Amino acid sequence: MISVSNLKKSYDSIQALKGISFQIEKGEFFGLLGPNGAGKTTTISILSTIVEPSEGTVSIAGFDLKKNPAECKKTIGVVPQEIALYNELSAYDNLLFWGGLYGVPSAELKTRSEEILKLFGLYDRRNDKVKTYSGGMKRRINIASALLHKPVVLFMDEPTVGIDPQSRNLIFEVVEKLHKEGMTIVYTTHYMEEAERFCDRIGIIDDGRIIAQGSLEELKKSCQMKETIVVSFVLLSDTIFDQIVSEWKDLKRIENSIHFYSSNVKSDLAKIIIRCSETGLDIVHIDIQKVNLETIFLSLTGKQLRD
Amino acid sequence: MIKLALKDLKLFFSDKRSMLLTFAMPMALITLFAVVFGGTGGGKESRKYDLLLCDLDNTPASHHATAQLDSLKSLNLIPEQLENAQNLIKKGKKDAVLVFYKGFADSMVAGSALPVELQYDEAKEAEVGLLQQSLIPTLMMLPFSDLGNIPNMMQNRFDKMMGNAADNKLKNDMHAQFDSLYKTIGKGVSSKKNVSADKGKDVAQSFGMGSEIKMTKLVSATNDNSVGLVQAVAGTAIMMLLFSVVGIGASLLDEKQEGTLKKLLYSPLHPNSILFGKMIYSNCISIAQLSIMFVYANLVFALDIYHHLPSLLLMILATAYACSGFGVLLASIAKSRQQVQGLSTLIVLVMSCIGGSMVPTFIMPAFMQKISMFSVNYWGIQGFYDIFWRMLPFRDTTFLSRILVLALIGSVLNLVALKMFNKNILKMT
Ligand SMILES: Nc1ncnc2c1ncn2[C@@H]1O[C@H](COP(=O)(O)OP(=O)(O)O)[C@@H](O)[C@H]1O
Ligand SMILES: [Mg+2]
Repeated sequence: MISVSNLKKSYDSIQALKGISFQIEKGEFFGLLGPNGAGKTTTISILSTIVEPSEGTVSIAGFDLKKNPAECKKTIGVVPQEIALYNELSAYDNLLFWGGLYGVPSAELKTRSEEILKLFGLYDRRNDKVKTYSGGMKRRINIASALLHKPVVLFMDEPTVGIDPQSRNLIFEVVEKLHKEGMTIVYTTHYMEEAERFCDRIGIIDDGRIIAQGSLEELKKSCQMKETIVVSFVLLSDTIFDQIVSEWKDLKRIENSIHFYSSNVKSDLAKIIIRCSETGLDIVHIDIQKVNLETIFLSLTGKQLRD
Repeated sequence: MIKLALKDLKLFFSDKRSMLLTFAMPMALITLFAVVFGGTGGGKESRKYDLLLCDLDNTPASHHATAQLDSLKSLNLIPEQLENAQNLIKKGKKDAVLVFYKGFADSMVAGSALPVELQYDEAKEAEVGLLQQSLIPTLMMLPFSDLGNIPNMMQNRFDKMMGNAADNKLKNDMHAQFDSLYKTIGKGVSSKKNVSADKGKDVAQSFGMGSEIKMTKLVSATNDNSVGLVQAVAGTAIMMLLFSVVGIGASLLDEKQEGTLKKLLYSPLHPNSILFGKMIYSNCISIAQLSIMFVYANLVFALDIYHHLPSLLLMILATAYACSGFGVLLASIAKSRQQVQGLSTLIVLVMSCIGGSMVPTFIMPAFMQKISMFSVNYWGIQGFYDIFWRMLPFRDTTFLSRILVLALIGSVLNLVALKMFNKNILKMT
């Protein structure tokens, strides 16, 4: 559906994209996960034809973006990172306006607008000016205005930034519904929970490069990440610790607790507990830290996803 | 707090355009006003005044008078047929025509009042007033030249003064008195072949009389719209239009700021249609604004708008088109709404000032009148003058040429705006 190859983009002095490639299948939910300034918005802007790449090619639904931008534009819907609505117009009028740009026939546009307003829980307030809306409501209309022409591909650039939990959940539900209906979605975020929840495949982007991509499982494997079993003791003497180190290679001591790194938590956990009771160590607390995108990102870049 | 202020200062100094606006604008305005009102220190520029001359007498006497007038530094005489001359004035191309009627030479000999007439455009009253001041001394002096018969003139004047009141005996007595009086002065006057201008003037003034010029308003006779009203309505309407059109143009920058411009670009819409949309919007508002202004002038000041409806509508369209182009262009040049505000205030004020929105162009010095042609205001105002004042018909070439100029201005502005829009606005999203 979407094929991006070796995309580069330089602004005057900044190289925002340093060669990005990915493929997205029809109906796939693709996440671009990365910290602020990674190049997510730049990527989306290029895909939605408003920024010209310095290098690289993009094709959407079989159309070359450079040769046939008009066809590409008809296929896509874009939810920009910033809320872009006419504040002095009502939500309903906004939808009619934005839908009208895509040439949706007016009768169809009206019914579709009403449907979408209901879907986003804003039907009752459809005639109120957008400026009277809360941030979350504006976000919802911002998304709604990209859906009127039933796009084949939907680009969403951090659609949940600065939003109340209620609106957030509503947006999640809508996004999941759209995905189920078969829409191809490209979703950028710097929240790993969102990426983990929705995405069939994830591209981790940092400093203008995709440093890893694949499904969550694939990412875990490719990073050779181990889960961590943290065992805390009442008292851990040096002699006992030395004994454990000699038996178990991959671990780290932090005061009275030991971090065991494991690629098979279930069997390793049993071994650890048995070994501890044999040596007479009193366990106070056991914690299992699973591998997630946060830790993957940390291991790949040495940075936190969010500062 | 000081840090905040310093930061703002820094931002300000890094923006050259806004600096220019803040400092250069007041300076430019002050200079401009000074020039317009003639207060510059560069000395008084004596301007040659174009005066049409129609010599229906065509005798040595009238030729002499023409030569005398031509020798005046302030005048530039243009011989012209009476009918042509009157047309030129009606179209506003020239201000006045001086007519020497048949019998000019005879009157000179007979010493009766000279058949001289100044036909002029009332809209140019101020100009013509100045003109009169330079004409009268020369014309007054004419009877005192060698061609004139001073005693006859004296007697005629006296007769006229007395009218029927005086009996013939008194008249004859007086005539005799004049003769002897003239002989006494005449020694001094006629002994020199060339009477110096000052001397002649002195003599004429010492007699307390001069040639009167018959003044005829050529243009005012035909309509009842006052020139002040036309000036006020057209001038103000166009200036205000420019301001409001700038606001419309600036909305493009608001859209950019709000992110809606970007969102417009996501759609299959051609980017240029965004600008065209603004142009259309701006034209609609302009047409509405101008129309309302004239309807208002009609209701409140009884400006006769129905009489010339087709020309008026055409003129409104052309003016709206030209002004809209201006607003859109400004918006595509500027980088921010604030900049538009500053830049446009400067340009609108300058154009309004030189173009005659604030003060009528005809009271400006000649070179300013030339400069004023570089403003939208000038062409608009002249066009409305054509309609309401000069009463030019719809098909008149002068009127149509104004329409053409306005259309041209609008097209050029729009084209440049399109170029700048593609270069500035779209690249900065
Ligand atoms: N219009 C622009 N001009 C100059 N630099 C830009 C522009 N847009 C983005 N950048 C730079 O490109 C980099 C990537 O930005 P962006 O794609 O917005 O990141 P993200 O959306 O992941 O937070 C950043 O360093 C940003 O400063
Ligand atoms: Mg971004």
